[in-house]
Amino acid sequence: MSDDRLELPQGTLDLLILKALSLGAQHGWAISERLHQVSRATLQVPQGSLYPALHRLERRGWIAAHWDASDNNRRAKYYELTRDGRRQLKVEAAEWRRLTVAVDLVLGMG
Amino acid sequence: MWARLWSEARYRARAVFRREALERELDEELRFHLEQEAARHRAAGLPAAEAMRQARLAFGGLEVVKEQTRDGRGVRWLERAGQDLRYAVRALRRTPGFTVAVIATLGLGVGINAAMFGIVDRLLFRAPPLLRDPARVHRVYLQWHNRNGLATGAMMGYASYLDFRRATTQFDALAGYSVRSLPVGSGPASAELPVGVISATLFDFFDAAPVLGRFFTAAEDTVPLGAQVAVLSHGFWQARYGGRPDALGQVLRVGTAAYTIIGVAPRGFEGISDEGPPALFIPITAYAGVFRAGPNVANYYTRYNWSWMQLVVRRKPGVTRAAAEADLSRAQRQSYEAQRAISPGMTAPEIARPAALAGPVQAERGPNQSTVTRVATWVSGVALIVLLIACANVANLMLARAVRRRREIAVRLALGVSRGRLFGQLLTESLLLAGAGAVVGLLLARTGGALLRALFLPANVAAGTLADPRTAAFVLAVAALAGGLTGLAPLLQARRTDLVEALKSGARDGGYRRSRLRTGLLALQAALSVVLLVGAALFVQSLRNVRALRLGYDVDPVVYIYPEQRGARLADAEAAALRLRLLESARAVPGVESAALGLTVPFWDTWNDNLFVAGIDSVERLGSFTIQAGSPEFFATLGTRILRGRGFTAEDRAGAPLVAVVSQAMAGTLWPGREALGECFRIGADTVPCTTVVGIAEDIHQNSVTTDRGLSYYLPIAQFHPEAAVIFARGRGHGREVRELLRQTLQPEMPGEGYVNVTPLRDIVDPELRSWQLGATMFVALGGLALVLAAVGLYGVMAYDVAQRAHELGVRMALGARAPDVVRMVVGDGMRIAVAGVAVGSLIALWSGRWLAPLLFEQSPADPVVFGVVAGVLLLVATMASAIPALRATRVSPTVALRTE
Repeated sequence: MSDDRLELPQGTLDLLILKALSLGAQHGWAISERLHQVSRATLQVPQGSLYPALHRLERRGWIAAHWDASDNNRRAKYYELTRDGRRQLKVEAAEWRRLTVAVDLVLGMG
Repeated sequence: MWARLWSEARYRARAVFRREALERELDEELRFHLEQEAARHRAAGLPAAEAMRQARLAFGGLEVVKEQTRDGRGVRWLERAGQDLRYAVRALRRTPGFTVAVIATLGLGVGINAAMFGIVDRLLFRAPPLLRDPARVHRVYLQWHNRNGLATGAMMGYASYLDFRRATTQFDALAGYSVRSLPVGSGPASAELPVGVISATLFDFFDAAPVLGRFFTAAEDTVPLGAQVAVLSHGFWQARYGGRPDALGQVLRVGTAAYTIIGVAPRGFEGISDEGPPALFIPITAYAGVFRAGPNVANYYTRYNWSWMQLVVRRKPGVTRAAAEADLSRAQRQSYEAQRAISPGMTAPEIARPAALAGPVQAERGPNQSTVTRVATWVSGVALIVLLIACANVANLMLARAVRRRREIAVRLALGVSRGRLFGQLLTESLLLAGAGAVVGLLLARTGGALLRALFLPANVAAGTLADPRTAAFVLAVAALAGGLTGLAPLLQARRTDLVEALKSGARDGGYRRSRLRTGLLALQAALSVVLLVGAALFVQSLRNVRALRLGYDVDPVVYIYPEQRGARLADAEAAALRLRLLESARAVPGVESAALGLTVPFWDTWNDNLFVAGIDSVERLGSFTIQAGSPEFFATLGTRILRGRGFTAEDRAGAPLVAVVSQAMAGTLWPGREALGECFRIGADTVPCTTVVGIAEDIHQNSVTTDRGLSYYLPIAQFHPEAAVIFARGRGHGREVRELLRQTLQPEMPGEGYVNVTPLRDIVDPELRSWQLGATMFVALGGLALVLAAVGLYGVMAYDVAQRAHELGVRMALGARAPDVVRMVVGDGMRIAVAGVAVGSLIALWSGRWLAPLLFEQSPADPVVFGVVAGVLLLVATMASAIPALRATRVSPTVALRTE
């Protein structure tokens, strides 16, 4: 394990999950794989911490779950974005951009 | 927003009710993840076992993830509460004795409070059923000043009602009403029932529509004689007419007249009645017009000397109470002037200063609150104290239990259970116990409550039962309070638990010390018991004093006989002759010692007239003088003593010189410092012949047991309204023994549908003593209960202490302490607590005595004898409660005590 991996800032996991699901329904393991690959292995998402977050999002109604056959024909729990979830993704993504722009501005100072 | 709430609710409901399924799904989901991950590693060439190990490593702690996921479901607190509840039930079932003791104690406390709440709620807080906007509705009270200061009364005449209706502007409704007890129906089905005699406008005060027919209207409620129509109460319609619609149009005899039924009031409608729901309602002018039939019928709405009804008013919206009272007072001043125009003898308005008050519609919250209500309020306070004592007892039991479970709690803390969680469990336990106590209490309130209601409330008045939401809410609050209070003590204890100490020390713990909290609770119980016992003793003494009070006549042997005429009105001469016949028949009844005619009966009615005495400007200003009239045997029959001069003889007949016997108080008031015998006064007008005083009688209580000034005089019945006479009979034994025989003998003498009412004087006087009777009964019962609870509490704690100290006591005995030393030590401990309790309790009782004083009768609230006796009783009980366990401890042989672990 190399040391140049990043710890996830607090509260961004939800955003990442919503984004990962915006491309289509996925099961938990696939989400973790996707985050790993898309971030070019820089984001360190402990695999276990994914599940409490998934269940929390499901409770809030931003994602919905159903059981389906996986690629290798096993029963897996698939998550997908709901309409509320899409709206939430837009909101959170916009907020994130504003935050990073603001932080960049501060860092670019003098 | 709503979709999200819905989604949350659905998710949580599933989390609670489908917990097993959710757990299985979670398992499966996580297993799938791990296998996928392992498959990836295997694909990279790792052996199966290593692949799985790597997968687990990357995943993190499986159980931790599961736990976090469950937290994410948002129902953890519910699950925890469920666990705590199961844990509490298990723990309580392990100690059935403790559980039963606690539930019974709390049940008693809650039950008494629930029952008393139902009563006080009904007396003080609840507005009449169906009344619209009770806050705007007022009962009107008249006020005036007389010799004794400010007087307040709700009773007035119909003429006053008309004056108020004419002269006030701030009200959108006014109604006069009275509840009269009248014979209803005819033949064998007739019965004396409460009848609402009301203005047609009273219906406007209520959100009530007739379930059948119609209510009577203002056009049917007019002077001099209203329409002879009746509206039945729902209950009476059901009971008498089986709820049949053909009751409409039927004719019903009420009192001396016949009324046509025109409607039925809705269920629950009772108008405004302090004596329970009336059976039916008739126009107030129909009643008064019939009652005052004949040439004098105009009297009731033009003159003011018949005060028999009350007035309710409803403020117009936006009118303040102060403005309403100013309006009423102005009207009352005008009305007073009108009265003075008729009776110039009345006190000048500058002195009388007539005014009117707008009181609450509930009579018992008004200025003339009955002593029964005040006693009921006190008793509810006392019931709360009993609950406090019960709570203290339970808290003590819980503490003892907490001490016994000290090691268990310490072990659980050591195993990592959070203190918050532990508190939750302890609190769940006490709330569970309180809940069970509340259920027991409600059951007790249901059975015992009926008994209490019968004591405090008039018959037929419905009061809080289990079905009543207000009582249920109250009980819930009380139970929660009790649960919180009793749970608090062990929590305080648990907070201080020192893990290491608790784990180290075994049962062989020589350094046992009772916590200060528990000692304080015991002293508190003792103190509160002292307060209640002092109250009980004061009321018992008052009751004894009031019973021993001589009223100026004998009560037990005397019966009062009232001939109730119905149908055709008898001419005066016939009515007088009927009464003489009844008197002769009464005399002949075996067991009757003597019988006499009279005019009024104490506490039920009085007769007044204007008095004129030479040399005195206004006799009225000196007080209210009541008239009694009697036949020659009157004084012997009633047992009223003639102090000087003579009573009446057969010579004092109509046409003979007018004579009177006056009470000692009246003689002293009208002719102070002089011999009243031979003086004379005029009755009714100063132009009539003079009545000469021939005798002085002892003072009697005509209107009140406590405050009667005894201003009364007696006239020979032959010279004063012989047609209105009533009959008194004196039995050889108790009046109740001859009652039925008298009724049977006299009944056939009554003409037409008339009948005789025979009432032992005791039954008339006893209601006057009711407040002391009630106070004594309730205080003794609750004080006794408090003492028992306190004694059981002290005993329990002492027994527990002794058991805890068995080892220490064994060592002492082994070292040579003798049994009496040990007993002295333990009893001394208990006595110290009791003495502290007595001291504190006595101070509280002394301090609160001044509020209790008005309810007592010739009894100082600071009576040293009462305090001494109560202190003695409490110390004696405390000694016994601590001596029993102490003696038991000495009987254990030291070797056994030392060996026990």
